[in-house]
Amino acid sequence: MVDEGTRKTLSNIPLLTTKAGPRDKELWIQRLKEEYQSLIKYVQNNKSADNDWFRLESNKEGTKWFGKCWYIHDLLKYEFAVEFDIPVTYPVTAPEIALPELDGKTAKMYRGGKICLSDHFKPLWARNVPKFGIGHAMALGLGPWLAVEIPDLISKGVVSYKEKANS
Amino acid sequence: MADWDEIKRLAADFQKVQLSSSTQRLSERNCIEIVTWLIQRKMVDLIFTSDGKEYMTPAHLILIFTSDGKEYMTPAHLINDIRGELYVNGGRVNLVELAKIIGVDLSHINAHLNDVLKGHKDIHSVLGQLVDSTYITKIAGEINEKLQQQGQININDLTLQYDLPADFVQQHVVEKNLGKLIFGKQDKKDPRIFFTETFIARTKAKIRGALIGLTKPTPITVILSHADVSERLFFSLFDQCCSYGSLTSRLVGAQYVPNIYTRSQNEWVNNFYKQNGYLEFDALNRLGISDYKTYLKKLFANDDTILLKSCVISKNILDRAEADIEECINSKSYLDLQNNLPSVFNEQDIQIITETILNTKKLRETIVIENYILSKAFLETLIVDCSKKLEENANKVVENGKYQHYQTDLQILNLKTQKMRICQKKLKLTSGRREEKKQLVVRVVEVHKEEKRKQNQPRNIIEVGKHNIEEIFEQIQEKLEEEGLDMLIDSIANYLHPILNEKDITTELLNYIAAEENMNTVTDNFTNEQRLKFVNDLSQTYKNAFSTLTKTLSGQNVEEFLNSIDDALATCSMILKKIDKKKDRIVILNHKHSLLEQLDKCDDPALALHLTSLILFVSATQNMLHASGRHVSSILVFLKQFLPPEQAEELSSYHEFVTLMLGGGSEAENAKERLKEKLPIIKTIATEFKKINPEKS
Repeated sequence: MVDEGTRKTLSNIPLLTTKAGPRDKELWIQRLKEEYQSLIKYVQNNKSADNDWFRLESNKEGTKWFGKCWYIHDLLKYEFAVEFDIPVTYPVTAPEIALPELDGKTAKMYRGGKICLSDHFKPLWARNVPKFGIGHAMALGLGPWLAVEIPDLISKGVVSYKEKANS
Repeated sequence: MADWDEIKRLAADFQKVQLSSSTQRLSERNCIEIVTWLIQRKMVDLIFTSDGKEYMTPAHLILIFTSDGKEYMTPAHLINDIRGELYVNGGRVNLVELAKIIGVDLSHINAHLNDVLKGHKDIHSVLGQLVDSTYITKIAGEINEKLQQQGQININDLTLQYDLPADFVQQHVVEKNLGKLIFGKQDKKDPRIFFTETFIARTKAKIRGALIGLTKPTPITVILSHADVSERLFFSLFDQCCSYGSLTSRLVGAQYVPNIYTRSQNEWVNNFYKQNGYLEFDALNRLGISDYKTYLKKLFANDDTILLKSCVISKNILDRAEADIEECINSKSYLDLQNNLPSVFNEQDIQIITETILNTKKLRETIVIENYILSKAFLETLIVDCSKKLEENANKVVENGKYQHYQTDLQILNLKTQKMRICQKKLKLTSGRREEKKQLVVRVVEVHKEEKRKQNQPRNIIEVGKHNIEEIFEQIQEKLEEEGLDMLIDSIANYLHPILNEKDITTELLNYIAAEENMNTVTDNFTNEQRLKFVNDLSQTYKNAFSTLTKTLSGQNVEEFLNSIDDALATCSMILKKIDKKKDRIVILNHKHSLLEQLDKCDDPALALHLTSLILFVSATQNMLHASGRHVSSILVFLKQFLPPEQAEELSSYHEFVTLMLGGGSEAENAKERLKEKLPIIKTIATEFKKINPEKS
């Protein structure tokens, strides 16, 4: 099951109501609108908790999402690109979040850099269709994955700190 | 598409949200670390606090952390803050509260307290609180208001009300503002108390009112509770406002004694004393003077007084009593002190008085019995009176044969003594009912009579008795010559009994009844007529028995009397004791033995014959006989029937010789010799007869 922090974060993300995929035209717009509203709230929550850890943006149709996520370890900020598509069967099928930079560097990943989600994720998502959206996928999927995998990768030397002029 | 526009807008918003706040957040989050680092390196040039408003120069490098560690401030700012808070809180603030409000540790505030106070004399640090002059002014105003309302105020109450130390309130609040903001006076005796003039005046008036109103001694506590005045105030104001009385002490349990009360008390005491010449301690106690000894000492400091057990008396009374006694001595009478002195004196008092009055000279002339003082001269007259009376009585007793009865009638004496005892008991019972006073007088007189009697009576009676007996025997002899010897005993008895016993016993019985019936009659000297009248006046129960009894008195028959007396005694619930033969016999035997002893020692032939004849008579008849020598011949004639002929012969010849000897003449000498020869024979007759006798009698 998810840890206490995650659960709290999750409960603060607004739930969605419209069950629609990219091919549902009008309904998709409605769904996309809810997705954005949910995400804005989530990011605001993160900021106020001083827990900001990603940037996201989408294409015009809202089917492709990309951006950055970062993880601070030993006072160093490790930053990775993040991207995913909205599946046709969305929201029944959860989006597959991918970190292309780390493709092939860890076993907890499918081809193309798609992260392996925990055993709990899928049943939890299935139970919460259509209430869960992208924000939930990030908080429930990518967040815990980063927290577990990055320190491990850093200690293995697979990922090293890149001096980078950011922000 | 309008909806897509909306999506676009939302996307833009999303980006804005993601970008806008992130930079700021970042800097704030690291702020603590940065500042810490700067402080460690002492490299601070310019530092801004979390809100970015406060700056400080390197000179004030010391920073104060707020409790949450998120804010920093300089000492100057802290001091400023403290002053600001003090102002905001109305001039009084608790340091702990201050620490909470400003958000710094209490130790920082304590450390900078001196800086806060420096240069600000109007700020005081009191008991963990900061107080400034505005607050003091404010509470001074409040205190004044309260003082005007209540009239009196105590620092202790103020400390409770304002939760400030007493010293502070006293010095900085009240005393500083006394006369400026607080209008009142400080109690001189207790600097912690302040009051207004009006209050004092009011209280004084109250006390004065209460004190004037009182007319009898009152406990202070009662006054206080009625007047609603505090005890301390009462005592401090008492002297100023009261000349109407005095206090017994300065304690709570004291009593207020109004002057008017003391005055009237003294007046009463003085008047009473002046009028009566004495003062009862009981009366003083009733007036509420418990310590009467010192009181009297004070009151009669100059007077000549004498303390008794229950009262104090003036010299006058003593003089009077003395004069009375003197007069009593001079007039040869007696004096009842109880009557002459005030009635409140008890016996102990009177005793003290007599002791003080009677000096040795007077003591010699008087006798003190309880409350009576009798002069010796008075006693003398009494004695004279008594002795006269005594002689009369004694004569009378002998004349009417009482003495003989007393001497000879031992058998009946037994009965009498017993009866007497019962009579006495009854008499005592009845006498108790009589008036005490009268009894006392009677007793006193009687005591002296008795005293006198004891001295004189026995001799008189004995003398008179002897004389009387001889007379009686002369009479008996006369009778004896006329009638036969056989009648001797009966005639003696007949002669003696009516005179002695019957009358006497009857008189005793009547006396007893008189006592029983509560009649105040003394029946001793009743004549026959009086007795009859008395008996007739008796109640039915006694009357019958006694009328027959009195009748027998005039008759000559003893038997009748004995019969009737049984009845009379029965009515008086008495029993006649049976004659005790054993006792009689012992008496007779003793008598005989004494006669035998006399005979043994006797050498005179005539006396020997006399004794022998008496002994023989006693032995023969078992009755005692007293007879003179003249009757010897007649006794011998009587005895003849009891004696053997030879012995009778012997005795008669002996008797003849005795008469010859006593007759004198030529044959006297011869007779004397013969008598001497015969003396032992006579004696043996006397002694031996006793042995033969029992068979005969």
